[in-house]
Amino acid sequence: MCTPNLISRKTFLTAGLALAATPFLRYIPAQAAAMDVTEVAPGVFVHQGRYEVQSPGNRGDISNASFVVGSEAVAVIDTSGSAVMGQELRDAIRAVTNKPIRYVINTHMHPDHVLGNVAFKQDKPTFVGHYKLARSLGTRANSYITANKQMLGDAAFEGTEIVLPTLAIKEATTLDLGDRTLLLEPQATAHTDNDLIVTDTKTNTLFIGDLLFSVHVPTIDGSIKGWLALLDEMGKRKAARVVPGHGPKTMELPQALEPEQRYLSAIAGDVRRQIMEGKTLAEATRTAGFSEKDAWKLFDQYHVRNVTAAFAELEWE
Amino acid sequence: MLTAFKSLARSCGLAALAASMVVLASPSAHAEEDVWPILKEQTFGDRTIIEEDGLVVLETPSKVEDAALVPLTVRIPPSVRGKIKSLTLFIDNNPDPKVATLNFGPAAGTGGERSFSTRVRVDNFSHVRAILETEDGSLHMTKKFLAAAGGCAAMQAKDPDADTADMGKMIVRKFTPALQSSPVWAAQVMVKHPNHNGMQLNINTAEFIPAQYVKEMTVTRDGELVFKLDGTFSISTNPNFRFTFGRGEENNLDVVITDTDGTEFKGQSQPKGS
Ligand SMILES: [Zn+2]
Repeated sequence: MCTPNLISRKTFLTAGLALAATPFLRYIPAQAAAMDVTEVAPGVFVHQGRYEVQSPGNRGDISNASFVVGSEAVAVIDTSGSAVMGQELRDAIRAVTNKPIRYVINTHMHPDHVLGNVAFKQDKPTFVGHYKLARSLGTRANSYITANKQMLGDAAFEGTEIVLPTLAIKEATTLDLGDRTLLLEPQATAHTDNDLIVTDTKTNTLFIGDLLFSVHVPTIDGSIKGWLALLDEMGKRKAARVVPGHGPKTMELPQALEPEQRYLSAIAGDVRRQIMEGKTLAEATRTAGFSEKDAWKLFDQYHVRNVTAAFAELEWE
Repeated sequence: MLTAFKSLARSCGLAALAASMVVLASPSAHAEEDVWPILKEQTFGDRTIIEEDGLVVLETPSKVEDAALVPLTVRIPPSVRGKIKSLTLFIDNNPDPKVATLNFGPAAGTGGERSFSTRVRVDNFSHVRAILETEDGSLHMTKKFLAAAGGCAAMQAKDPDADTADMGKMIVRKFTPALQSSPVWAAQVMVKHPNHNGMQLNINTAEFIPAQYVKEMTVTRDGELVFKLDGTFSISTNPNFRFTFGRGEENNLDVVITDTDGTEFKGQSQPKGS
């Protein structure tokens, strides 16, 4: 027989330790008018978007959107792909906290990450982005609005407009939310020319936007060389978790990066060889990177465009 | 040309609004506005144009993925033996329908397949046309339909700062054929140039980015004219041309490009003095 006292004490201590190590994290299911969000670390909430292109059915809910709650204020990181989804995100925030929404941060310019900004205008937050975000989003605003209106349909598009950043991040900058700070780091051209990495320093959670795609095929709208170089650097970072722009709510470094590195390397390798052989852009789009076809969702929608972008960049080497 | 250009430029404002990255609208929406009769009259007057007689072949992608960067290739099959005089490319529903006219010189070559490729912006569902003028002055046309939209207003530059830093950089590359005696050789000219069409509105500054594009390109081989090209902003950012030329002695290519600002860019297929 063992000593019941000791066992119960040990059990109690173990249970207590486990509790301390895994604090109670909330899952807030989709409610009447709010999107579902999951608390992935204390005070850090993520909504996972679908692996789809914009449609009336998904109403622009195709990318991950997050928020971080401090003791004084809330910061939103990416706002989903329409005014209605932005409003649902705001409702989800309000189901968790009534603290003021002080910052709305965009990880980059793409419409599926910024078109929900408009839902937060009523909070009068500071809209924050990479210092090149305003120019890049500004020059694309009309075509983004036109394209998304057509893809989402009038109902899901209702109220959507472009909201440009009011705070431009040119060097590493911290934002205070009360008892926790966010670190904002602007990146050199990779997925786009305005990628921003946001770190919640309290939980060491990295929000890397579309620098990381998982399951959803990556899309190149910046520089394939810059992106591959940045992924090498990012693989050396230590983080408790990363939140991708498209993919599961959280992933782990460095292994989360590997499929994307493999995809981009396959394109770069094939395209470089074809350029050396004197092949044309049209020829490259028929073969380059097709070894990756079965590894990704939405491959048919984006791959040829990726090869086109890679070819137009790498032919200048 | 001016009248047609103005009215088309106006309609492109609407076209740009209707444009999208994903093609959804039906092509018939724009088929009603057939601009070809006007273009034909303004460019060729009452000259007869023979259609689809096989003297000129146009290759376009089966599906357009990036309307700001659509590869086009024109081939003149080896069965066409004589010299060629000119080649004109149109995209009917673009703000300026003319893409380029090439007037060929003595070094354009004969005795094999001749070709010309470039990359274009396509603003709307449109016919693309290639009209070849042969030595006897007869005109031969082929056309293809392209379901692409949004290339004119779309901002193609993915890294505008890097492009600006490299503006004017030119690469002239020759593709020496497997058989060096072959009478027709291929080459490529590419130049870092925004080729801005003046249609990209920056809502940040509420200003249109001013038009600035490659207007003229002259290619010579060992001092003899291969062709002179007159271009428009339908040609994509960082203009890219592949073409054939007649084999000569040294086969040195010289390229002079002039843009709408009057800036001149020069390139050679090999360094001076070598
Ligand atoms: Zn993106």
